[in-house]
Amino acid sequence: MDSPYLPFLGMVERSMRLSEKERFFAVVPSSEALLAYRPGQFFMVGLPGYGEAPISITSAPGDTRIELCVRAVGNLTNALHKLRKGDRMWLRGPFGRGFATNEMEGRDIVFVAGGIGIVPMRSLVKAVLAERERFGRLTLIYGARTPEEMLFTEEMDNWRRRGLDVQLTVDKAEARWKGNTGVVTTLIPKVSIKEKETLGVIIGPPVMYRFVILSLKALGLGAEDIYMSLERRMKCGVGKCGHCQINSVYVCQCGPVFKLSELGGLPEAI
Amino acid sequence: MKGLLREHKVYGTVEKDGFPAFAEIFEVDDLKLSETPTHLSAKEFLFPQREVLLKFNMRTSTHVPVIEAEKQVLIGLHPCDIKGMGLMDRVFSHGVSDPNYLARREQTIVVGTDCVPDEYCFCSSLGTDKVEDGFDIFLHRISRGFLVRTSTDRGAELLSRLADSREPTVRELKELEERGAQRERAFKAKINGAPEDLPAIYAKSDESPVWEKIGAICYGCGACNNVCPTCYCFDVKDEVRPNLVEGERVRTWDGCTLEDFAKVAGEHNFRKSRAERLRHRFNRKFRYLAGTFDSLFCVGCGRCSRTCLVKINIVDVTNELIRESHRR
Ligand SMILES: Cc1cc2nc3c(=O)[nH]c(=O)nc-3n(C[C@H](O)[C@H](O)[C@H](O)COP(=O)(O)OP(=O)(O)OC[C@H]3O[C@@H](n4cnc5c(N)ncnc54)[C@H](O)[C@@H]3O)c2cc1C
Ligand code: SF4
Ligand code: SF4
Ligand code: FES
Repeated sequence: MDSPYLPFLGMVERSMRLSEKERFFAVVPSSEALLAYRPGQFFMVGLPGYGEAPISITSAPGDTRIELCVRAVGNLTNALHKLRKGDRMWLRGPFGRGFATNEMEGRDIVFVAGGIGIVPMRSLVKAVLAERERFGRLTLIYGARTPEEMLFTEEMDNWRRRGLDVQLTVDKAEARWKGNTGVVTTLIPKVSIKEKETLGVIIGPPVMYRFVILSLKALGLGAEDIYMSLERRMKCGVGKCGHCQINSVYVCQCGPVFKLSELGGLPEAI
Repeated sequence: MKGLLREHKVYGTVEKDGFPAFAEIFEVDDLKLSETPTHLSAKEFLFPQREVLLKFNMRTSTHVPVIEAEKQVLIGLHPCDIKGMGLMDRVFSHGVSDPNYLARREQTIVVGTDCVPDEYCFCSSLGTDKVEDGFDIFLHRISRGFLVRTSTDRGAELLSRLADSREPTVRELKELEERGAQRERAFKAKINGAPEDLPAIYAKSDESPVWEKIGAICYGCGACNNVCPTCYCFDVKDEVRPNLVEGERVRTWDGCTLEDFAKVAGEHNFRKSRAERLRHRFNRKFRYLAGTFDSLFCVGCGRCSRTCLVKINIVDVTNELIRESHRR
């Protein structure tokens, strides 16, 4: 029997510093099967001796590399930051249920990302832009603490050219910052929305969800129209270890992507 | 028994500091079939407290899976233990199956035996007080020897090969029946409701004051998770050898009553209070897993109550929730 705990090797083809805390990796997996993923799915990324952690996929389906972006917060993630071109990491996955982009077709979409929530959001944005004509009006609202912590901004002009309205905001502005200051919710009311035609997608730190949901609802979005990706501790990725459980639901299996309407009866969700 | 010892590793109940406990049996006399429950369940023989999942080499970034399973016999499991093991079998084969557990299960012969309830046992309230399968051999104690049932070919084969047996007499069967009736009368702990109603009762109890009450005294020690035959959550960690090159990825038992269990980055904890963590544990037993497995995940062994230092009692808590549900 194959062990679901056995990782595959991935070779780092590119390792790039994005900010003080975040590093970007393009990884060539030892098995092509790992490239069959959806936006919103994740890998258990590991290093021998340091363990494993769930890390979102930031590249889009069809890419020949797995792209990851890691924030150094602890033991494993700091060790991952030392990896350079030619080094190897371990990958198990892809895990979870990602975004069903076919369900989103024909709709306007407001993407709301906070902090490193932009990492999985980038995968979704790229997948949607790859088939731009299938979707309506597209808006990305992205907030970070400071301008330095904003990720992937150099790609955003390209996204804009392909028809994504990108709105940026920072919590703490500096003299050089020309954009909006304030949390992401300050930008949401400014989006003009066609009721019943618009979907919202939220990915960010736990504190963000409650407020963003309220603002999206105020614009007229229903619980069926709001998607979000939830973060939980994970150890196995296959519905056994129990760490990722929200009430009766295992995030590694049923998530991390949920519709708000699926979270009724799960008071621990947000 | 001698035959079993020759062919297998054998684990069974022994007397340890005056209490029954599971341990390896080396000689026939080591085995002391116990009528009262062991403090720890037998789950460690299929799902060890610490288990290697793979061995790795950090220099070469290579790894090999480790699945350790030897032929073993477990003797002295009570009906609730056997029911609990059946639930574990389902968990570890559900969805993505767990090869480590299943390989060990495959290699394990289970010999059950009957029991007498103590003040904490409440299996009769959950219908887990009798078993028809899930074991290979089952020993019913009578005044002169044992009446033996088998429920697998493997069990029948072992019995015919290693033991002398004959058909029971009418009087022996009568004695068994009497012992059964006696046992039924001996249950002190009872749940005041039907097992099939418990998921709905728990579903309505999220706001119950009972959680704050027991949360206020709980130590968050995780002992209730450790002793439970149906608690299966685990942690995974890497252990590096002193040579700093080789190591092992191991999984160890974990418990949802421990503080860090649901903590994520930024120190955000999705179950900050002990009340929330206990509520989660009880809901897993009586509600959450019932949807997937169509069964409660408590087998009424009473181990969590027996072990709890502050005397949090699963029957009392459940009965209090049942009382509250009547009041509403
Ligand atoms: C579905 C999902 C996708 C994620 N995607 C990314 C990503 O793309 N990039 C990224 O940098 N991070 C991501 N994370 C968070 C990442 O998993 C944690 O930061 C990581 O586990 C920390 O590991 P560590 O060993 O470095 O830290 P540790 O030394 O284990 O701990 C450092 C901090 O991380 C917390 N933590 C530990 N384990 C987890 C865990 N499994 N999940 C969340 N927090 C944890 C601890 O409570 C502590 O605050 C994701 C988490 C989830 C659940
Ligand atoms: S054994 Fe008792 S004190 Fe310890 S975690 Fe369980 S309920 Fe709390
Ligand atoms: S929850 Fe308590 S009584 Fe129920 S099976 Fe587990 S240890 Fe036994
Ligand atoms: S990560 Fe282990 S159950 Fe979800």
